[in-house]
Amino acid sequence: MSASAGVRVFASYDRDFVEEAEVVVVGSGPGGAVLAKELSCAGRDVILLEEGPPFSPDDFELDGGVSMARTLREGGLRTTRGYIMPTMQAIALGGGSLVNSAICVRAPAATLEEWCSEFELDHTSRADLDPHYEAVEKFLGIAPTPEDVLGPRNLLFRKACDALGYSSEPIPRNVRGCRGSGECFTGCRSRAKQSMDISYVPSMVQAGGRVLTSVQVQRVLAQGRRATGVEGRVVRPFTGEPSYTFRVDAKVVVLAAGVMATPVILSQSDDLANRSQQVGQNLQFHPGIAVAGIFPERTRPEFGATQAYQSLAFIREGFKLETLWAPPALLAVRLPGFGLDLKERLAEMPFAAMWDAIASCNRSLGQVRARRGTMDPLISWQFHPADVSVMRRALWVLARLFFAAGARKILPGVHGQPEEIHSLEEARVLQEEELHPTDLVCGGNHVFSTTRMHGDPRQGVVGESGRCHDLDNLYIADTGILPRSPSVNPMLTCMALAHRIAGQVAERL
Amino acid sequence: MRIFSGYPPLPQSFATLTRREHGFLAAAAEATFPRGGAIEPSGVEAEIPRYVDRYLGVLPARMRLLMRLLFFLVEHATLFFPAGGPAGLRRFSKLPQPARVAYLQSWQRSGFHARRVVFTGLRSILTLGYLADAEVLRALRLAPKQIDTPVCEADLLWPRVGERPEQIRYTLEDLTPPSDGSPLDPDAPLDPDYQKSQP
Repeated sequence: MSASAGVRVFASYDRDFVEEAEVVVVGSGPGGAVLAKELSCAGRDVILLEEGPPFSPDDFELDGGVSMARTLREGGLRTTRGYIMPTMQAIALGGGSLVNSAICVRAPAATLEEWCSEFELDHTSRADLDPHYEAVEKFLGIAPTPEDVLGPRNLLFRKACDALGYSSEPIPRNVRGCRGSGECFTGCRSRAKQSMDISYVPSMVQAGGRVLTSVQVQRVLAQGRRATGVEGRVVRPFTGEPSYTFRVDAKVVVLAAGVMATPVILSQSDDLANRSQQVGQNLQFHPGIAVAGIFPERTRPEFGATQAYQSLAFIREGFKLETLWAPPALLAVRLPGFGLDLKERLAEMPFAAMWDAIASCNRSLGQVRARRGTMDPLISWQFHPADVSVMRRALWVLARLFFAAGARKILPGVHGQPEEIHSLEEARVLQEEELHPTDLVCGGNHVFSTTRMHGDPRQGVVGESGRCHDLDNLYIADTGILPRSPSVNPMLTCMALAHRIAGQVAERL
Repeated sequence: MRIFSGYPPLPQSFATLTRREHGFLAAAAEATFPRGGAIEPSGVEAEIPRYVDRYLGVLPARMRLLMRLLFFLVEHATLFFPAGGPAGLRRFSKLPQPARVAYLQSWQRSGFHARRVVFTGLRSILTLGYLADAEVLRALRLAPKQIDTPVCEADLLWPRVGERPEQIRYTLEDLTPPSDGSPLDPDAPLDPDYQKSQP
């Protein structure tokens, strides 16, 4: 690999500039990186633009709070309005793959069948996507988490599922050589996680592609039905302070800036690609709730792959179960108590396991629009009561699992419920009492559908090729095009769709 | 007077916090993490205000402002939600310690969702600060282990944040074998930043 040829970072810029390419891709997360690499390897002249900086291992922060402030948009403090819920989007080369737990799961066939029937899609069945899933899985070495790096808290989850007869399996992840450090969220110091910045993007550069980081795209330029390029500003890492202007002229423009940023860019581009009025609409999350269980023996929770075991037994009911670990400071935020009581809870962390449920919540919708004067989004979202009931059911299942695994108590983290529950009998309160949405402390990091794919141009922003219905050469390749929740973690489906879109773009060039 | 006077001087080397914010955070840290109990250091001994000083420094300007408003709100919300006892209208940092604890607990248990959200925000930042302290993490046996990071091909492409590509310190000769997937040794030494400093 020719070192750093074709790579520009914030310190590289010293004036306004204009570049030209066949294809410009906006966003280096899982969608943009896959697409840019595939097109580069197909011999196309590609420029990949990323607003965040690249992070080297020397830039990783082991402290959870500071790490989030540096790698996530709005310092990791972004929240929804309406129902107040934190939501994290990365700002870094590699996008969310730098700081996620590398979960790569194919969407269930039944979910994709529903997409096809409800959104007038003809070529998005599981059989249609399987070749693209396989290509991505092969490139990234995606495989179930090996047994010897599961660690006790993942194995306890398996034990619980076995005891209750729920199906479970080690989570497939884009990791090669995981050592079980549990540090996925702050950057993998073992360089085992195949995040986009060490996998697809370097391959793209090796194939001749160019990467410009610290550039914020603010507008797509268009004439009639054709996009002609993008323009924006160079921005300083972390502060976002703008400096030089830039423009990239291209035959094809691909937006892969993410569910929040892509609709903002379109709306700032004179409401481009929005004859359907669907840009920024239909926002969906996978709200997640985490429950802590305290075991009699030390669980050594700091050891073991971050999220390595899952159960898909409840997918048809609308939720998925997973194990979870994160920097202790971030997990401690979820613990109840105050003063010396809180310290007692903290001291129990070496005996803890955290498991979570993420729910599809197809009835809970929101929207994204531009915050005045900035490229940050205003995100509004409401929890549908029926989806709150799904979360309540998930809480009860998690409680059953913990006590089946031998936990001596659980900390459900639900307002109005006991801070500690010591038996399954006590836990029945979780399924018996009505919950208000604000009783739950949820996070929503999987996001979808703000530029959804739909066969009918009046009801969606893009078609199955990823091309905007309203333009001939503007594509979208992030999870915004998912017509609704994929029922499981979305990264692999996003990459598979991007892989397919790359083929479509190459054909039309 | 209530807003400006009576705060202790700001210790040296604080870059972001004001004297008033430091005074508030020290009071809130001590109420949330008093000395003793299951983990010895108090919130102030764990240098929560210093952590917040650094944390605010890396936040984008808008979020920094919102965080400051949060501190101001809790410090002076006794005007709207008085603390118990005869001193109930004093600003938070002027309350006696037991009253501070009771006051924050009342926010935590409030039936008013927005108050709970504010409390959660404040307690979150204090907790982040407490668990950033190496002594606290060592006491919990959760301090990060030392890991020898392999040098991979991507390390020949990306400079450190703020540096130029020409400043990349690795060449092809520096590449090392990738991780072999051997599980981390539970008895491995701690990361140097978390090791106990020698007297």
